Amino acid sequence: MLKEIKPVKLLENVYALGLGILLKKEKVFILGDLHIGYEEYLNKQGILIPREQFKLTKNLLEKTLATIKPEKIIVNGDLKHEFGTISKQEWIETLKIFDILTQSCKEIILVKGNHDTILEPLANKRNFEVKDYVIVGNICITHGHKLLKETKELKNIKTIIIGNDHPAISIKDGIKSELYKCFLVGKWQRKNLIVMPSFLPIIEGTDIRKEKTLSPYLKQKLSDFKVFVVGDKIYEFGKLKDI
Amino acid sequence: MISQITEPYNEKEISGVLDPIIREWFFSKFKAFSMPQMYGVMPIHERKNILITAPTGGTKTLTSFLSILNYLVKLARRVDLEDKVYAIYVSPLKALNYDIEVNLQEPLKEIQKVAKKFGVKLQDIRVAARTGDTSSAEKTAQLKKPPHILITTPETLAIVLTTKKFVDTMKAVEFVIIDEIHALASGKRGIDLSLSLERLEHVSVIAPVRIGLSATIAPLDEIAKFLVGYEYKDGKYTERDCLIANVQFLKKMDFKVLSPVDDLIDTTASQMHLGLYGLLDNLIQEHKTTLIFTNTRSATERVVNHLKEKFPKKYTSGEIGAHHSSLSKKHRRDIEKKLRNGELKAVVCSTSLELGIDIGYIDLVLQLGSPKSVARALQRQGRSGHKLHDVTKGRLIVLDRDDLIECSVLLKEGVEKKIDRIQIPKNAFDVLSQHIYGMAISHKWNIDELFSVIKKSYCYHDLSKEDFYEILSYLSGEYAELESKNVYAKIWIDWKTKELGKRGKLARMIYMTNIGTIPEESFVNVVIAVPADRREEKIGVIDESFLERIEKGDVFVLGGSKYEFLYSKGMNVYVNASVSRQPTIPSWASEMLPLSFDLAMQIQRFRKLMDEKFSSKQKENEIKIFIREFLYVDEKAVNAIYNFFREQYLFSKIPHEKRLLIEYFEDEDEKKYALFHTLYGRRVNDALSRAIAFAVARYGNRDIELGISDNGFYLASHNKMNIDKALREINSKNLREILEQAIGKTEVFKRRFRHCAARSLMILRSYMGRRRSVGKQQMKSVFLLGAVKRLNDNFPILKETRREVLEDLMDIENAKYILDEISKNKIKIEKMNTEVPSPFAFNLITQAHADLLRIEDKIEFLKRMHKEVLKRIKS
Repeated sequence: MLKEIKPVKLLENVYALGLGILLKKEKVFILGDLHIGYEEYLNKQGILIPREQFKLTKNLLEKTLATIKPEKIIVNGDLKHEFGTISKQEWIETLKIFDILTQSCKEIILVKGNHDTILEPLANKRNFEVKDYVIVGNICITHGHKLLKETKELKNIKTIIIGNDHPAISIKDGIKSELYKCFLVGKWQRKNLIVMPSFLPIIEGTDIRKEKTLSPYLKQKLSDFKVFVVGDKIYEFGKLKDI
Repeated sequence: MISQITEPYNEKEISGVLDPIIREWFFSKFKAFSMPQMYGVMPIHERKNILITAPTGGTKTLTSFLSILNYLVKLARRVDLEDKVYAIYVSPLKALNYDIEVNLQEPLKEIQKVAKKFGVKLQDIRVAARTGDTSSAEKTAQLKKPPHILITTPETLAIVLTTKKFVDTMKAVEFVIIDEIHALASGKRGIDLSLSLERLEHVSVIAPVRIGLSATIAPLDEIAKFLVGYEYKDGKYTERDCLIANVQFLKKMDFKVLSPVDDLIDTTASQMHLGLYGLLDNLIQEHKTTLIFTNTRSATERVVNHLKEKFPKKYTSGEIGAHHSSLSKKHRRDIEKKLRNGELKAVVCSTSLELGIDIGYIDLVLQLGSPKSVARALQRQGRSGHKLHDVTKGRLIVLDRDDLIECSVLLKEGVEKKIDRIQIPKNAFDVLSQHIYGMAISHKWNIDELFSVIKKSYCYHDLSKEDFYEILSYLSGEYAELESKNVYAKIWIDWKTKELGKRGKLARMIYMTNIGTIPEESFVNVVIAVPADRREEKIGVIDESFLERIEKGDVFVLGGSKYEFLYSKGMNVYVNASVSRQPTIPSWASEMLPLSFDLAMQIQRFRKLMDEKFSSKQKENEIKIFIREFLYVDEKAVNAIYNFFREQYLFSKIPHEKRLLIEYFEDEDEKKYALFHTLYGRRVNDALSRAIAFAVARYGNRDIELGISDNGFYLASHNKMNIDKALREINSKNLREILEQAIGKTEVFKRRFRHCAARSLMILRSYMGRRRSVGKQQMKSVFLLGAVKRLNDNFPILKETRREVLEDLMDIENAKYILDEISKNKIKIEKMNTEVPSPFAFNLITQAHADLLRIEDKIEFLKRMHKEVLKRIKS
């Protein structure tokens, strides 16, 4: 669905790019929640869905990376879907995604998500770092399924970028309603908070207007959060309460 | 050939073929043969296929079993009974199976006694039931000593046909009885059964005699064809022979329409409420046991609660009960038992007690609101006065003026014994996929032979080879990439040798645990979040599709109380229970029964007659005399009907079978409405309205709101709608194509897709040892739908979903008929601009099931909404 991949400003220096985020100054590209192997998981659940996730993810990733020359790529959690196990297919697909990432940049960092219980063997295969969070300037990138401890290092952070919730928003007109992926930009305590959509092309995500958010960073009211809706390109829709 | 038996056989003849033991037993129990027996016993004795249609309590079951018992006794006397299944009895209800088993065990005991008296040593004749509830110990016992008479359901029949060992006992079945065939024939359970019958015929060295038992139903010829299917000989298919014994109208009827209030117009909701419960109470008190049909589960609950609340002394839990499909099995069995024992004063049910389970003596049947079809009304009516020669007593209680006219015409049709026709669905790909899988599990097949077995079924007789191959291609997983094929492929095919067989070790397990045609509905729990002292309390369930329609802040009613929707999480909906606002969203009408097309046309005819009376300026009393003579209603009803038509006549025009009236008006919000008086039943209106809305929406590229009811439909939009242009464009030839596009984005399509995908075994409820909740299936089936669409827009499951929506849910055939009538100018379209909706349109506006015809592309919609947001931000 995404046709036009151009940076759209979320905050100073922080831009939405496709389904990911670009930190312009540092040339850092962030993406998250790829959930590789989701279809295989559905298959195990008895939904015999034909597989296209890998192909779609790969295409979108290549298309996005073709527009930039990042110096660092951060995978912000939930690279693969299954907890605890990894199938042959998932293993192959994950490595292929790694190859695409390494082709466009040297430094890759993996941030641990709640689904990434056994990320290490994969990361070791390619000598990638695995971390709970990454700091770039005054920005902290973390998956968001748990709160980070308030260390000295984190005190000076101005902006936190999380994934985890797969935010999507239903836009309504009368009885018509459609669901779109979205970026959310708001506040957590006194810091800026950005929630990224999932890099999972086959699913929109969780409707923030209907379902309860999961991340401990999202326990406050979201009505003042700005919404950036992902359609054929990214549209700024203003504050959630005004939509 | 299908032929009717015109004369009953004579008693001597029938008596003559009976074994002395059976004869002695029969006449010790009954004085004489009943009418159905006079028609039905001999043909079965002569091994002829037969469809017997007679009212409930008309001794149909014994008719079908008498010749079979007679035959078995003759064998047993000679010690010729083998260890095999001689007869299979299939009914749609487990509860009915249980009744039948008991009702056969008893006579068999008595027959043994008679034999003893005669000094004859009879072999034991065994009867056993086999359903989803049968324990494995019982199954093992059945294998060791096969029942001579097997009692089962359509689903279990399909399973035993795939059970290696048990099928050996069914290789020479001589009789198959299909009970309550009217309840099966119009749906996918019937299709499933028709294939099972052909599979049975295929494994059996004898062609079993097919016996169909049915309550009131039409058209009988088609039902008979459905029962017997086709024969394949020398490269040709011919219809198998079948006799029809039509003994439908034996009972005398006392059948009336009642209104709870004198005046159906100037009545407030609370007066209506008082009137209704007063009337119900009076009727119940005047009778020993009353059975009340309400059409929906929610109405059932409501009526029981109100009766208990209003008359706490008269109606305690011991005297009144509710019966519907969402209640637990234990609860339902309990109510049925109490009914049989005559302990209950009244039972309120949705539709669940329509079928022939033994419920003892009922002296009054009440139907709240129109039963929507003559056949259904008579079936329900027949639940009273269970003995054959009793008079049946029933009352239709009407709740508004549309209902009054509908019920009055229905009453006339019922009294005059004109039954509305059902439609039997054909060529369903999903049910076929299941059976081919089952057949492949049984053994290897030659593809052509498999095809010829399938084509013997009435429901697949027209199946094309192309469609058949497409299903084979689906089942062999040809759509999947090679490396993951083992997940998708159910069968292997060797196109060179033209052979196919099952794939994978789990095949039998997957088949046994996943087949069936009844869709699982998905419900979400309603849980309290506020107030804190009731937090986490579970109040009940709502249909999952309802969840899709409600928004934060909406207030809805459940179990008589109001709740505000807060948020949902997984399969739970969290609500605020302390809310005083009025409901903002009506409960969903998915369970509403559609008005039958034939009955709708009769109402249209009545409207035309009334229009002629008014147009020719007949006097009030002349018209009233006509109403009284034409319909079978009382003075109160005559006045109400007269006034209703008169108002419509004076306000605008009376729409009828030759006049399709379209009303145009605007509401206070300047929303434009086009309201169509198409009294064809909601199945036809569903098709017509969506096709027209689609044609209108296509030009404006904007979605159109629509409301659909039995009496008509409306389109609404803030934009201008070019209705004339749309009407010129639609005809019977392009209707299917237009509708296929129009339904693609509807909620109902998504739901039906899940059902079809589950039946086609692309969604497995039970897999790798785990069972999945329906809710999870539904959420995930949406991804499946997207993926399948991207794969191939003509994927067999998509095609079947379209067929099911257009042909089973909607009625595209009759919609085409109406369009043809319009193009031939036999139905004339007339248009009127009105300030407010006309009297006939009033209920349509307030009660129609609202939906949206989506045409606007998702991205276009986003762009438009974005512009509006920008405008708002700027101002």
